[in-house]
Amino acid sequence: MSVLEHALVVFSLISFGYFVLLNAVYLVFTGIAWRRVTYYRRARQFSGADEAFASPLTPPVSILLPAFNEEAGIVESVRSLLALRFPELEVIVINDGSTDGTLRRLADGFDLAPIRKATRTTLPTAPIRGSYASRKHRELWVIDKENGGKADALNAGVNAARYPYFCAVDADAILEPDALLHVAKPILDDPDVVVATGGIVRIANGCRIEHGQVVDVALPRSRLATLQVVEYLRAFLVGRMGWSRLGCLLIISGAFGVFQRSLVAVAGGYSTTTVGEDVELVVRLHRYLRERGEAYRIQFVPDPVAWTEVPEDLGSLARQRRRWQRGLAEALWRHKVVTLNPRYGVFGLFAVPSFFLIELVGPVIELIGYPSVIAGAALGYLSLTFLVAFSVVAILVGAVLSVAALALEEFNFRRYKRGREAARLVAMSLVENLGYRQLATLWRVLALVDVARRRGGWGEVRRRGLGYAPARGASRGR
Amino acid sequence: MIDELGWVSGALALLSLLLVCTLAGRRVTLARAERRRLGAEERLRPLALALVDGGSVPLPPLTAHDSRALAVVLARYARQVNGAALAYIGDFFEGHGHVARELSRLEDRRAWRRASAAHALGGMASERAIPVLLKALADPDRDVAAAAARSLGRLRALEAVEPLVYALVDGRLPRAVSAQGLLSIGPEAVPRLRDLLAEAPAQVAAFAVDLIGLLGDATNAPELTVLLRDTSAEVRAHAARALGRLGAEEAADELRRALDDRIPFVRVNAAHALGAIGDVSAAPALARQARMDGFDPAEAAARALVRVSPQVLEAVAAEPGNWPHLDQAVDLARIQA
Amino acid sequence: MTDNGQPLILIADDDPDILALVSFRLQKAGYEIVQARNGEEAVQAALERRPDLAILDVMMPRVDGYEATRRLRQHEETKRMPVILLTARVQEDDIARGFDAGADDYVKKPFSPQELGSRVQAVLGRR
Repeated sequence: MSVLEHALVVFSLISFGYFVLLNAVYLVFTGIAWRRVTYYRRARQFSGADEAFASPLTPPVSILLPAFNEEAGIVESVRSLLALRFPELEVIVINDGSTDGTLRRLADGFDLAPIRKATRTTLPTAPIRGSYASRKHRELWVIDKENGGKADALNAGVNAARYPYFCAVDADAILEPDALLHVAKPILDDPDVVVATGGIVRIANGCRIEHGQVVDVALPRSRLATLQVVEYLRAFLVGRMGWSRLGCLLIISGAFGVFQRSLVAVAGGYSTTTVGEDVELVVRLHRYLRERGEAYRIQFVPDPVAWTEVPEDLGSLARQRRRWQRGLAEALWRHKVVTLNPRYGVFGLFAVPSFFLIELVGPVIELIGYPSVIAGAALGYLSLTFLVAFSVVAILVGAVLSVAALALEEFNFRRYKRGREAARLVAMSLVENLGYRQLATLWRVLALVDVARRRGGWGEVRRRGLGYAPARGASRGR
Repeated sequence: MIDELGWVSGALALLSLLLVCTLAGRRVTLARAERRRLGAEERLRPLALALVDGGSVPLPPLTAHDSRALAVVLARYARQVNGAALAYIGDFFEGHGHVARELSRLEDRRAWRRASAAHALGGMASERAIPVLLKALADPDRDVAAAAARSLGRLRALEAVEPLVYALVDGRLPRAVSAQGLLSIGPEAVPRLRDLLAEAPAQVAAFAVDLIGLLGDATNAPELTVLLRDTSAEVRAHAARALGRLGAEEAADELRRALDDRIPFVRVNAAHALGAIGDVSAAPALARQARMDGFDPAEAAARALVRVSPQVLEAVAAEPGNWPHLDQAVDLARIQA
Repeated sequence: MTDNGQPLILIADDDPDILALVSFRLQKAGYEIVQARNGEEAVQAALERRPDLAILDVMMPRVDGYEATRRLRQHEETKRMPVILLTARVQEDDIARGFDAGADDYVKKPFSPQELGSRVQAVLGRR
């Protein structure tokens, strides 16, 4: 056999091997997630969220909301935060040098007045231009600063926060009233051990939103957005539950996470030199605490819900996914010393290498696999029937995993109540494997290329603002 | 190889189909069961309300399903009410064998059944559940123990005070649950908490102090004041906080002294307490702390100064120098007056 | 006061169980009831129906009990209406906040519907 033949066969074998490994892992995770979510749902009945709410011993939380050019939805976002059910909290909006009317909208919406706010200087940030307090809402603060990026804005918030814990929230995320109570619960239960928790993000496109609350859960009209619903359920519910159970939760969604303030401050705050500041922080926290040999837990809570808008056009989605992948790659690379290093326990020996393999190397293998396999079949080195059979198996396995994730959501949370929507989700989960997934893989590989070429930045994500959802029955025309 | 793959495909397709069918089927059954339950609740609500209100209501014969629905409704009501209403509910549950059934379920092998039983007993106002629940506090499963703690709180069981305070420290139970259990027991728990002050290790005592601050009254001030000089910083800090909660003016002198404590956390709590008490003579010391101390103690002192003496605050803030916490306090006072 | 001379009580809580329990007790005692599920509805109902007394849960979505009380105190028609606050949280601060907002009394949850009924009677009897 020629070199080409050898290469094709080898690539094909690697692809098949990777495929088997990957799906085995996902299957295990699905099993773990099933057990945990079922347990969690049962435990919810006696979770005592009401007690935590009523309890004077519940530690207070500072909510940090970094905002850049969010004039469309900022007032709604802040309103939903102020409406959170939690005994004591403060909301700190950090206006990261917006060039639009964000600050003015805030000033008008909440009757702001300038004050001289005392803040720590532990974490370096871009200069602060001014601070404001609200005449009507004692728990609301606005910090106006020069643009420095999301991480920089968050660091300013960490400096300014009064309370022992903070919750970093995205400007376009809507939190359910009990969301903070539920996501903070692991910390409330074990304040000495749990240092950070993360919640799940659901997709708001298509839901009806009134007064900053999601009042009706529905699937988006856009097919792309619906595909993302399936994907989010699989990635969040199954993936993170699994990782969390193994003590290796790596991604606390930037949209919704609670952290111990002093720990983050002493560990150096958010990094302003990476595009994935949320991932990087969590990895760094794992590393920091393990280096000090301190017992700790970072936990994922499946149900407290934050809703967020996802891109409905391919361009924005591609940019977002490439950014996420870049962030993950940068974070793992920066802390590569933990890889396979016994000093870092399960985290170093298992979590990081797994992430590396599955999330970084995997897409590359997948992408090379497709053409290799097809070429091999075309050139006669692989039997075509074999190829077809294997493809069918691959698609079905993917579908089974997606449907299992849907079932997980369905059995335990039942957010999507309409029968037709459930059917649509099932249909979409089949489609997800035919084209969407491959596209996502392509983007992730491109992201790695970006990293190699050192391209950075956030790009622009078109945002409609969440106070405005498309009218039911109106055609979206996409 | 092809054949195997063929088999695998077939199996997977079948599996998917099965999953989808189960999903659909379950959704339908759940929806139906939910509708049925809600319907039953609508029908039974007047009966439940009458029961809660007046006690002796002749019960019509109920199907098993309705009986369960009624129990669910009454258990929900039981979590909201006290006094005579709760006693009526308790009589119902006892009289219809629910208590006995839950007590036996507490022996079940499966943890979540035990937890469910422990949880339910809290709403049945049954005194004879107390010893069993106390045993359940030591259950190896955390959720069972938590449910038991909650129920003991609802039943206001004094025997649970000590194990619950210890649970706050050893972390066997979620902290909020132990705390709330103790708070539910209420002021009657105070004598037992006071006993813990003397004999328990410092960490336990610190929590007992906290709870006295929440449940006690002015008569507890003297012994808490003494604790302001305890060797343990935790105890001192919690004592300061408790005195603030009790509004104990007679502790003002000692609290002012605590502003010089070595540990920042104690200074924070002392400042907070002085603010709550409104001790005007503490104003100079608070002003000094607001200017000189680290972030958290200075912040606490400035806020306390607003409550204690706005005049001193304004005067000191106007003095030359950069006093960020004082400036902030002054601005806030002006805006949010 | 309603048309047939019965005192009218406004009860506001986002928990339907509380609404049911309190309404039942008060109706049994001979009062007429109007219900609201949050602070905004409560203020609206109060201005429309002019109840003789309002029982407000503190923790309600959108507009909580404190804010609702404050708003009621701002309107001429409801300025003197007796307000009883209902809540699970009872700390010094919470009580003070309640009275600062203009409430007349404070009932802790879990509560006794019978006792609440007596208090309503006492408050209304005084007027």
